[in-house]
Amino acid sequence: MPHIEIVGITKVYEQPAAPPIVALDGVDLTVEHDQFVSLVGPSGCGKSTLLHLVGGFISPSTGEIRIDGRPVTGPGPDRGIVFQNFALFPWLTVRGNVEYGLAEKGIPRRERRKVAQHFIDMVKLTGFEEVYPHRLSGGMQQRVALARMLACDPQILLMDEPFGALDAQTRLILQEELKEIWRQARKTVLFVTHDVREAVFLSQRVVVMTARPGRIKEIVDTDLPADAPRLAVDALAEDIWATLREEVLKAVVPGDRREQAP
Amino acid sequence: MHATPVLRRALGLGVLKRWASVIALFALWEGVCRARLVDPFLLPALSEVLRRGAGELWSGELVAFTALTLYRTLAAFVLAGAIGIAIGVSMSLSAPLRWFGEPVVSFAFPIPKIALMPIFVLWFGVFDLSKIVMTTVAAVVTVISATHLGTRHIDKYLLWSAQSLGTHRRALFWKIVIPAALPAILTGLQIALPMCLIVSIVTEMITGGRGLGGYMIYASRFAESDKVFLGIFLTALIGYVLTEGLAMARRRLLAWHPEETVMV
Ligand SMILES: Nc1ncnc2c1ncn2[C@@H]1O[C@H](COP(=O)(O)OP(=O)(O)OP(=O)(O)O)[C@@H](O)[C@H]1O
Ligand SMILES: [Mg+2]
Repeated sequence: MPHIEIVGITKVYEQPAAPPIVALDGVDLTVEHDQFVSLVGPSGCGKSTLLHLVGGFISPSTGEIRIDGRPVTGPGPDRGIVFQNFALFPWLTVRGNVEYGLAEKGIPRRERRKVAQHFIDMVKLTGFEEVYPHRLSGGMQQRVALARMLACDPQILLMDEPFGALDAQTRLILQEELKEIWRQARKTVLFVTHDVREAVFLSQRVVVMTARPGRIKEIVDTDLPADAPRLAVDALAEDIWATLREEVLKAVVPGDRREQAP
Repeated sequence: MHATPVLRRALGLGVLKRWASVIALFALWEGVCRARLVDPFLLPALSEVLRRGAGELWSGELVAFTALTLYRTLAAFVLAGAIGIAIGVSMSLSAPLRWFGEPVVSFAFPIPKIALMPIFVLWFGVFDLSKIVMTTVAAVVTVISATHLGTRHIDKYLLWSAQSLGTHRRALFWKIVIPAALPAILTGLQIALPMCLIVSIVTEMITGGRGLGGYMIYASRFAESDKVFLGIFLTALIGYVLTEGLAMARRRLLAWHPEETVMV
C-alpha cells in the first residue's frame, strides 16, 4: 500500500470581498513508503497548500488524502513539518523548541536532552541552546525548525523550502545530512524547493507543477545511483528547469488577469 | 553575558535621566515655597510635608491607613486579574460567550464605573467589601478586553506546529494560546494595577472609612494641607513601587519577547 495517496485534490480559498482563489486543481499523486519526492513549481502555484493539506492543517475542497490507506482528518505527530516561515515558539529557547515534541511524546527529561542536543549539533547550532528565537538569524531559525521536526522522528517529513534561508555552504552540508537521515532512517519525504539541482540531488522523483491553478505538469524520475557523476545530476536538472521555465514565465506574463502575489 | 563599561555607564545615565525630571520638580516645589512665593497653607514645602510624615509615622495611624489602602488595592487587583483573565479567555473559547460578552464589554468600557459606588454601598455596606467590589469592577473590564484581544487571534502556524508535534487540540490553549497572549495579558494587568490604587483611594474619599483616601479627606476638612500633600506623596510612592514591581515581573516573564530586549 502506498504511504501517501493524494486523490483528485482541489483547493479553493474562499475570501470575503474578493473572488475565490483556485490554488490546486485536480492533483493526483502517490508516494510510496521511504520515497523522497520533491515538488517544484512557480511561486504561488500551491506547493505550500499541498503540504498543508497532507499535514491535515487545512481540508481539501474536493478529493481525499490518505495516509496508509486512512483518510487524513487532522494534523498528527506521524507527519512532521518544517513551515516556510519556520513558526518557532518564541517563548521557548532553541533547546525548548527542539525538546517540545519529545516532551509531548512523554520522553523523560534526560533522554530528551540527549536527543535534542544531537539534532542541535547536527544543524550546527551548538552553543545557542539557551537563546530565544528572536535573537537568531533567519537561517538559524530555519535550522531550529528542522531540528525540532527531526527530533520527533516522524515517519513522514513535510518540508517547505527548508533550506531556503541558508547560505550555499550550510545548504550543501544540510542536504548531505538530510540525505543521510533519509537513507538510514527510511523516511517518506515530501520536499518543496525552488532549487532544481537540490531536488534532483535529494529525491527519487521530482514533481513539476504548473502555474496557478496548480496541477501536476510532469513527474520526472531522478533516482540516480549514489555514485552518479555530477554531469548526470546537472543534465537532469537542466531538463527539469526547461519544463519549469515555461510555467514560471506563464506565472509572470504581464497583463495576466490572475492577480500577482503581493 | 556581561555588560561592557560603556553599556553600564549608559544604564547609569539612563537611571539619572529617568529621575531627573522628578528631582527637578521636587526642587522647584521646595524652591518656590522657600522663596515665599506661595502661601504655605496652600502649598507647604516638600521638607515640611516630609517632616510631618516622619512625625506621623510614630503615631502608627498613618502606617495602618497606608496598609489598609494597600490591602484594598491588592485584593481588588488580584480579584480583577483572576476574574478578568478567566472571562477574557472564556470569551475567546466560546462563540456564545463572545456573542454575549463583546457588546457588554464595549458598552461597559466608557462608563465611569465609580458612579456605581452608591449602589455598592447599598448592597455591600460602607466597609471594606463595597470598596473592594467597586475597585474590582472598575479594573476588571480592562483585564477582560486585554486578555480577550490577546487570546482571540493567535498565529495559526504556531497552533499547527504544536499539533504536528503531538499537542492535543484541547491542550493547545494552555501550551500555545496563553504563552502567545502573555504580552497582551500583562499589559492589561499593568493598566489595571494603578487603576486599582486610584479607585481604592477615591472610594475611601467618598465613603470615608480610613485608608489614605479617608486620611486626606479628613485632613482637608480640618484644613491640614500638609497632611493632604503627605497623602498624595505616599500615594505616588506606592503607585510607583507597585507598577515598577509589575514591570519587573513582566521583564522576567517576557525575557523571550523582542520588545523586552530593546533598551534605549
Ligand atoms: N489562506 C489563504 N487564503 C487565501 N488564499 C491563499 C491562502 N493561502 C494561499 N493562498 C493562495 O493560494 C495560492 C497558492 O499559495 P501557496 O502558498 O500554496 O503557493 P506556493 O506554491 O507555496 O508559493 P511559494 O513558492 O511562493 O511559497 C496563492 O495564489 C495564494 O495567494
Ligand atoms: Mg510556499
